[in-house]
Amino acid sequence: MDFTFDEEQRLAAQSLRELLNDHCQGSDLRRAANARDLPSFEAACATRRARLAELGLAGALVPAEQGGLGLGVVDFVLLAEEAGRAALPEPLVDVEGVAHPLLATLGELGESTLQETLVGSALVLSAAPGTTVLANAAFAQYLLLSRRDDELALYRASDISLTHRESVDPLRRLSEVALHDAKPIARVTGATTSSAWQAARARSTVLNAAQLLGLGARMLEIAVAYSLERKQFGKAIGSNQAVKHALADVMVKLEFARPVVYAAAATLAPVRVAHAAVAAAEAADRAARAAIQVHGAMGYSWEVDLQFYAKRAWALAGLNGGRSAQFAAVHQSLLRGELEAQWA
Amino acid sequence: MAIDLQYTPKQHALRAEARAWLEANVPREPLPSYDTAEGFEAHRHWETKLHSDRWSMVTWPQEYGGRGLDLIEWLIFEEEYYRVDAPGRVNQNGVFLFGPILMEYGTPEQKSRFLPRLASGADIWAQVWSEPQAGSDLAALRTTAIRDGDDYVINGHKIWSTRAVYADWGFGLFRTDGASERHRGLSYVVVPLRTPGVTVRGIPQLDGESGFAEIFFENARVPVANRIGDEGRGWSIAMATAGFERGLMLRSPARFQRTAQRLIELYRREELTRREQQTAPIDPGVAATVTQCWMDAEAYALSTYMTASRLIAGGSIGAEASLNKIFWSELDLSMHRAALAILGARAELRGLAGVEGVALAKAADEATRWMDGFLFSLAGPIYAGANEIQRNIIADRVLGMPKG
Ligand SMILES: Cc1cc2nc3c(=O)[nH]c(=O)nc-3n(C[C@H](O)[C@H](O)[C@H](O)COP(=O)(O)OP(=O)(O)OC[C@H]3O[C@@H](n4cnc5c(N)ncnc54)[C@H](O)[C@@H]3O)c2cc1C
Repeated sequence: MDFTFDEEQRLAAQSLRELLNDHCQGSDLRRAANARDLPSFEAACATRRARLAELGLAGALVPAEQGGLGLGVVDFVLLAEEAGRAALPEPLVDVEGVAHPLLATLGELGESTLQETLVGSALVLSAAPGTTVLANAAFAQYLLLSRRDDELALYRASDISLTHRESVDPLRRLSEVALHDAKPIARVTGATTSSAWQAARARSTVLNAAQLLGLGARMLEIAVAYSLERKQFGKAIGSNQAVKHALADVMVKLEFARPVVYAAAATLAPVRVAHAAVAAAEAADRAARAAIQVHGAMGYSWEVDLQFYAKRAWALAGLNGGRSAQFAAVHQSLLRGELEAQWA
Repeated sequence: MAIDLQYTPKQHALRAEARAWLEANVPREPLPSYDTAEGFEAHRHWETKLHSDRWSMVTWPQEYGGRGLDLIEWLIFEEEYYRVDAPGRVNQNGVFLFGPILMEYGTPEQKSRFLPRLASGADIWAQVWSEPQAGSDLAALRTTAIRDGDDYVINGHKIWSTRAVYADWGFGLFRTDGASERHRGLSYVVVPLRTPGVTVRGIPQLDGESGFAEIFFENARVPVANRIGDEGRGWSIAMATAGFERGLMLRSPARFQRTAQRLIELYRREELTRREQQTAPIDPGVAATVTQCWMDAEAYALSTYMTASRLIAGGSIGAEASLNKIFWSELDLSMHRAALAILGARAELRGLAGVEGVALAKAADEATRWMDGFLFSLAGPIYAGANEIQRNIIADRVLGMPKG
């Protein structure tokens, strides 16, 4: 029993943080958010994309014998948290945390595509059965999709009907995905496929929870900084106890969601994963509300960068069934008498 | 080392050993409340028993009767302890608060004088910090211990001292420099509670029992040898009590996981009954709270394992102490409120005495346990540093917000 991250895991997160400090500041996000069309959006993100590609995270969760790094979700969870902290527009988590390892389950059928996407000459994303809207699909060359849980199919993005949709988050470029009668370039069916989808959903849920943790922590930082800077009645607003306690409560929420997310990443146990989704969404939501309140009218304006983090949090909180479905999953376990402490 | 949430064979073995011992030794019937004379002695006896097989203070070094276990092993022991609903620890102050202070700051003479009797339960210790005018603002305390030859002469009034009605000794802060103010001029002194000049008067708590007491000092004399650490350095020693282990050890997660488990059992039983009797189901809001409570109890446990791992790896405890205090006290309250909501009209039933018919007696018993737990959970946000003060600490010292 050892609930600490190792040096390597922390260093990887540290280097991502440094990169994002340089290339994913509020001003960088704003430039992308103000982009009028896809090419100017891509131009605003180009440097960061190039730097991210140099970080060597491609295939992080793909088995080593298939050309990946062979890491586990727990090795990736701090990276996802950093992506959240920065409201990173690029789908690092969706690709490396979800789609790449899913593509790897296709084995030989997906091998050539995997080689292409691992070297970065193409991008692959996945959308679990039942998903109709997918972020960043407009940038992808390959998509892993299906209508059914027991089928996993790889498509060329150009064969799929993708319609641009707006998100409340100006940095999430959504596409409505319609399969129609597109022909997959590879396809598998059967029980192992269902479990591959299930695993992909679990990874996506945990890693989005980690992003929510990062987003919440960032919003708390922004709120604290503003509370020191903004003066009313001749003193910093942050010296008022009502403001202090609101932010202290956010910290409590965040710090008790954190171990749940990490444990979910380490075990991938379904109840832990659902719990992580609930706790992280709740904490990030509380952080967003408190941070906006602390900013006064500024918080309601387009002007402050806070909006990027808050909107990302609201968007992520709804994915994979959203908070209420995850809560219901925990509650169902309770009804079935499955919820006990390990030692009970 | 990377995150590994599996127990090692050694940890499994410790769990098995603790489980076997507890199952063989835990009293079959719950002991009477330790806020009664009879119950206090029964609990003291239990402490002696724990001590005789070195289960009393498992994290203490072997030389003082402990097992030298690390914090994760302590968590495992606590899980086993709560699993069998073992008696409340009447020796909690001694084991978790005073003992560690004595080991760090006490002289060899003080250690040999106090530690063995503390360990065996021969002496039960009370904390004597608060005064009528010094609660959250402890540095406003006024009780003096003025030097007179080889003695301190103590005058003043302490209050809210848990278990002091029957305890043997107290440890706390006294003003050894009568002219001093605030944090200066305070010393950490231990006082026998049954000595001339000391009057202990029980204060009934919300449940009617005298769980705490006020203590009047009128020219009570204690030897200078009762001072722990240097004169005038009491504040920083006392803060060490409030800091490190306390933030972690005051309330172990197993306690709340056990309560959450009882809450879930209550919920499921009630659901079944209502379905059988075709009455209205439990309010969905209450049902959601039960689920939330389970999640929060797990979160607290995971958080404690994370902190313990970090401490074992050489880290130190910081903000966790204040975060923990807020989290567990609110969780405890929430669990008990949910239980009372499920019990509905049964919740107010008290005790067994004179109740006819087994069914109602059982219901009354169960209701009493939840109601007593609820009453006690109301104190959680107040004692050991009120939650408002903890929020101030988080804001000022962790988030770096300006002092008000
Ligand atoms: C069950 C129980 C057991 C106890 N056991 C012991 C014991 O063994 N030994 C011992 O010495 N003491 C003990 N205490 C006392 C405990 O330490 C004090 O109750 C606590 O420190 C609060 O002090 P107070 O009661 O004087 O409340 P006050 O300090 O008067 O506070 C009253 C209210 O005002 C709030 N408040 C005060 N100052 C501020 C501020 N600056 N900002 C915001 N809000 C503020 C508090 O949070 C609280 O809600 C016990 C108390 C209880 C309830």
